[in-house]
Amino acid sequence: MYSLGQSSKLISRRFLCSRFSALLEAATHVISNSAGHKSRPYFISVVCGFPKDFLTSNYKPGKYGEDSWFTTSTPTADVLGVADGVGGWRIYGVDSGEFSSFLMKTCERLVHCVDFNPQRPVNLLSFSYCELLEQEKPIIGSSTACVLVLDRESGTVYTANIGDSGFLVVRKGRIVHKSEEQQHYFNTPFQLSMPPPGCHHRVLSDSPHSANTLSFPVLVGDVILVATDGVFDNIPETLLVEILKEVEGVTDPVKLQMTANSLAAIARALSFDKDFMSPFAINARRNNIHATGGKPDDITVVLATVAV
Amino acid sequence: MSQSSATNSEDDSKTANNESVAVDSVIDFKGKHFGLESTSQDSDDYLVSGSEGTMIDVERFCHADYRIEQYAHSVLDFSSQYGIDLSISYTAPNITGRPSKYPEYGDFPQTFAMRTYGAWWDRAPSRLKEIQPQNVSEIPAEDFIVLYFEDYIIPDEIAIFETYNPGAVIRVWAYTIAKTWICLWEDKEFYTKPIYSPSRARRFTPPLKRIQLPTKTIRLEFNHQRLHYYTEIDAVLLSGKKFNTRNMQHLLDYYERQRKVLTLGSILCKLQNMKFRPICRDNYQNRLQHFLMHDLDKFISVLSDVQIQSMQRQQQQQLQSSNTDEMKISKIGLKNMPFEIMLKIFSYLDLKSLFRVGAVSRFLYDVSTHPLLYSELNLKPYWHLASTELLSTLAKRATILKKLDMSWCGCTVQTISPTEFKKFIQQRGDSLTHLRLNSTKFLNASCIDTLGIVCDNLKELSLRNCSPSPPLLNFSCLANLKNLERLDLFQTVIESDLLLTMLENNPKLKHLNLAFCSVAVNMDDVAQHIAKYNKQLISLDMWKAHFLSAQGLLVLSNCHNLEEIDFGWCLREASLGDSLREFLTQCTKLKKLFLAAVRGLTDRDLEYIANLCPNLEQLDLMGVLGISKERYIDILQKCAKLQLLDLCFCDNIMDYDVALWSRTFKVDIKSCQVPNDFR
Repeated sequence: MYSLGQSSKLISRRFLCSRFSALLEAATHVISNSAGHKSRPYFISVVCGFPKDFLTSNYKPGKYGEDSWFTTSTPTADVLGVADGVGGWRIYGVDSGEFSSFLMKTCERLVHCVDFNPQRPVNLLSFSYCELLEQEKPIIGSSTACVLVLDRESGTVYTANIGDSGFLVVRKGRIVHKSEEQQHYFNTPFQLSMPPPGCHHRVLSDSPHSANTLSFPVLVGDVILVATDGVFDNIPETLLVEILKEVEGVTDPVKLQMTANSLAAIARALSFDKDFMSPFAINARRNNIHATGGKPDDITVVLATVAV
Repeated sequence: MSQSSATNSEDDSKTANNESVAVDSVIDFKGKHFGLESTSQDSDDYLVSGSEGTMIDVERFCHADYRIEQYAHSVLDFSSQYGIDLSISYTAPNITGRPSKYPEYGDFPQTFAMRTYGAWWDRAPSRLKEIQPQNVSEIPAEDFIVLYFEDYIIPDEIAIFETYNPGAVIRVWAYTIAKTWICLWEDKEFYTKPIYSPSRARRFTPPLKRIQLPTKTIRLEFNHQRLHYYTEIDAVLLSGKKFNTRNMQHLLDYYERQRKVLTLGSILCKLQNMKFRPICRDNYQNRLQHFLMHDLDKFISVLSDVQIQSMQRQQQQQLQSSNTDEMKISKIGLKNMPFEIMLKIFSYLDLKSLFRVGAVSRFLYDVSTHPLLYSELNLKPYWHLASTELLSTLAKRATILKKLDMSWCGCTVQTISPTEFKKFIQQRGDSLTHLRLNSTKFLNASCIDTLGIVCDNLKELSLRNCSPSPPLLNFSCLANLKNLERLDLFQTVIESDLLLTMLENNPKLKHLNLAFCSVAVNMDDVAQHIAKYNKQLISLDMWKAHFLSAQGLLVLSNCHNLEEIDFGWCLREASLGDSLREFLTQCTKLKKLFLAAVRGLTDRDLEYIANLCPNLEQLDLMGVLGISKERYIDILQKCAKLQLLDLCFCDNIMDYDVALWSRTFKVDIKSCQVPNDFR
């Protein structure tokens, strides 16, 4: 049972051996063991973002302010994830960025564990959450999370989303799949949280299993955007689709990166625009709150296209 | 000396090499060594010498001429870890793969950490006494881990990436394809070297002994005695010449043939001593014929020459010695001693020496096989040699066996058969009072059944790390044991009902270790049972036992004799209310109180600790937030006997505070800060 990785190791060692018969042997081994003749899809992914206090903060890899993200891949799956730390903890002296960062980093480590199941990203979230309890250094805070897994064997994407971060899939200029925002009340999304000891009854804490899960097949050329609410609350959907349909089928990571950068920049610009009717403002008005302009927030954009 | 046609100078050097190697490869035990001929137990020494030097030409089997370096692929076995099985923080699988944190230094959850550090557990009320202590080596191993690598190589270098408190590795073993364990490195200066002052991560590369057999399984052994705090290991890199597995069978056959030829019986030994050894690589039957026909006479003449020479030397010595009294005294030797004196002398010997000395003469054999010498048996230092044959030999001798320690035997490789062990217990188990079977891999359901049925005099039963989860072993016969005073189920999954029944049946229980109990065990129920049936309990370890609530803590205050209690990582998010105060009021003899990561502790609780625990010697408050500095000072002032205070990951304290308190109050205070951003 040779995986592709092991077979390639075998080939490289045979080269050193320079025995022709061995080369032939290895070559036939690879062909007979690869998963049919259909090549498997994979993500080309890029990330961009701005923390809310971009002008005064230092850059930390993997985080944008209180947002965090990760992208990783294994031979069988590609995984993207974002998490948005809930800002309400700041006044208690708790940095939710630590919580979201821990969630994402642990998810990344869990992806590389032997028992990772690409078809159940909810397990990533729940095991990550359990790992919180096993840390010596106590981590307090809360965060939303969205994890998206591409199962290479079947070309299907499995997602788990809790809270108001989310994802969008654009194909041929139209949105084919998108996540639903989960909120308890306006501006109070579902969140995974670890309250300080003694405060459990006062703090909103949702279980990882209350995450929304979706799964759908993807085609080559699809554009997938995973982002925190800093993007979805500031950029109207039509504008998002306009930008995203430009990169359909693009495999050049530089072009992708440029698009991600512009998305993040647009979100930032709009968030500080006082007169713009952002989706956040529209939503607020629906809830009888008089608000105009964008919503200044941390922005994280994870952009990926499907290639083979 | 002899100038036989068959010898040449190469042989001389080979002989010399072999002799020196045979001595080096034996691990030093505290008992005396008699340098006598080997018995079957020592066959592996000669395997080592055979494989060490020059006999086997492995080169022709390694077609490839390059070195590979490989990180550990998976963990086959380990004796203890800090985290629970399901977690990826501080657990054994973190040692596999590339290093994730090296060269950073600190306490990172992405590394492998073990359960204990320093000598603190040996100072606690629950400390263990070693069985047959003369067997234990100078530097006893406290923990081990067995790592599996992907490819067979002839190892020549190993690199251990230690990212926190380096210095615990004491031995490196390799498991060769000849199914033997060979010690590749041993730390001889463990006690004499200065304590490695930790501030930087270390890539530890001990010099390995060269072996000629390929391996892909490595075992590391640890001793924490000189460590300041937990040691953590990030990765292990093994490098050496790659071995082509297709040639494995050839090598094994070749090796077998060499071994048979080289098996040194007494005649071959004599030949070696006289530097007369025919080269018997191939075709040894023909060579033997040739020798018998042509060289035998020469050999006999040489032999008689040697005898004459040695007799001459002896006479010379006797003539030279002018003190005739010495000669008279030398006539009274060991064989004239009364039996009981010999028994007393031999009772200081370790097992290996005991077997060796029994091969000398009939009299010494009778003494060395007397049952009184086998009332305590410790096979843990011989884990690599323990086999079914050894067990059956010991069964014949150990008729009044009281204490048995077979920890670590049959590890990774099944060298002891469960049926043999079962027979052993059936024969000798009824007088057993102490039984330790930590990390053994040969136990199956019927063994445990036999244990429960036969060994009803058991006072101490230690089954640490004995079953993976889900529980494969059926422990229910253990409910028959009624005299237990010490029960150790560290990292062993046991059914809830069985545990409760055992607690009910053993009112004399003094020491109970339920660390890493499976999540299925409801700790509150256990606490209720303990409070009702085991009032004599002195020490209780509930490390990482989930689902213990403040209620459980409250009922435990019925055990007034408690001196040691470990609630690490229990009482998860519960707020304790008055339960801790009640507990401390009733259990005044507390010497060791571990409350690591009991996040619900408040200032008030620490006030209770300060006021109600005058005998406290060890206190662990790791990871508890929100305590003010004054409370720590309060405890330090009021607990006069305090020796250890663990304040890692606590807030409100600075490094200079810790240094000041440490000096002023003469307490060992542990503290560490982790960088805020963890990657």
